[in-house]
Amino acid sequence: MKYARVYADDVKVGDELPPLVKGPIQQIQLTRYAGASGDFNPIHQDDEFARAAGMGGVFAHGMLSMGFVGQLVTDWAGPGQVRKLGVRFAGLVRLKDTITCRGRVLAKSSNDDVHLVDLEVWAENQKGDKVVTGKATVTLPTRD
Amino acid sequence: MPIQLNKALVGREFPPFVVTIERGKIKEFARAIGDANPLYLDDRVGQASEWGDIIAPPTFMTTFREAGGDGADFLRELGTDISRLLHGEQEFELHRPLKPGDTLLCRSRILDIYEKTGRSGPMGMVLRETVAADKTGEIVGTMRHITVVRL
Repeated sequence: MKYARVYADDVKVGDELPPLVKGPIQQIQLTRYAGASGDFNPIHQDDEFARAAGMGGVFAHGMLSMGFVGQLVTDWAGPGQVRKLGVRFAGLVRLKDTITCRGRVLAKSSNDDVHLVDLEVWAENQKGDKVVTGKATVTLPTRD
Repeated sequence: MPIQLNKALVGREFPPFVVTIERGKIKEFARAIGDANPLYLDDRVGQASEWGDIIAPPTFMTTFREAGGDGADFLRELGTDISRLLHGEQEFELHRPLKPGDTLLCRSRILDIYEKTGRSGPMGMVLRETVAADKTGEIVGTMRHITVVRL
């Protein structure tokens, strides 16, 4: 199922994307993401700093969780098919959290030869709390 | 008395900056997310693909930052500091995938600053947009993000 090619013909409104499970989140991944993204906010690295800032300890970059949601979409639709991805960060992701990304098809449309599929996407932690909610639009090929 | 954000910064345009997308940076970014998709990591798979090269994950534009700028000056002018920031919302619009060697001119500006009361009290919201265009001037990607300032 990984990296499957999806065709617009086969997609129906209400279809669910195969869930993507990421984590448990470890400090080293936050450090790695800081280096890769350039976001060195110490609130994701330094527990003392995060506590002093009133956050109760370090938490993950929202953009890391958005990256997971991006992977949910690209594992299904293929990389390069994403036209739009927008999210709201609804809750903090903590160390040791396991994040499950999910999505479903909201709508399909076509103009000329471009076939667009709108998705509802979200990510939740091991307690079922939503940490990211959002929408994506992908373009899909047809079988012919 | 909660801190006041400097709303005079609405409409502020930052100096344009140029980003050249590096092959290694794409791979580093994909690996940091834990996404082993070969279209991000394997040059041969990229060359054989419809894109002719590896491409960047959809959130890669988040790495576009002014060289050397950590934003501390802007935060001071806004009336806050990094310890009070949270990421509220983020959006990417992509017209095509980004590839190694793409040289993009990025223009960033503040679209809005407003206040809101959240679960944990008063919050300032700062909406910023960055538009990236290629050498022909064609827009290849736009990102908008809302930074939340805990007031």
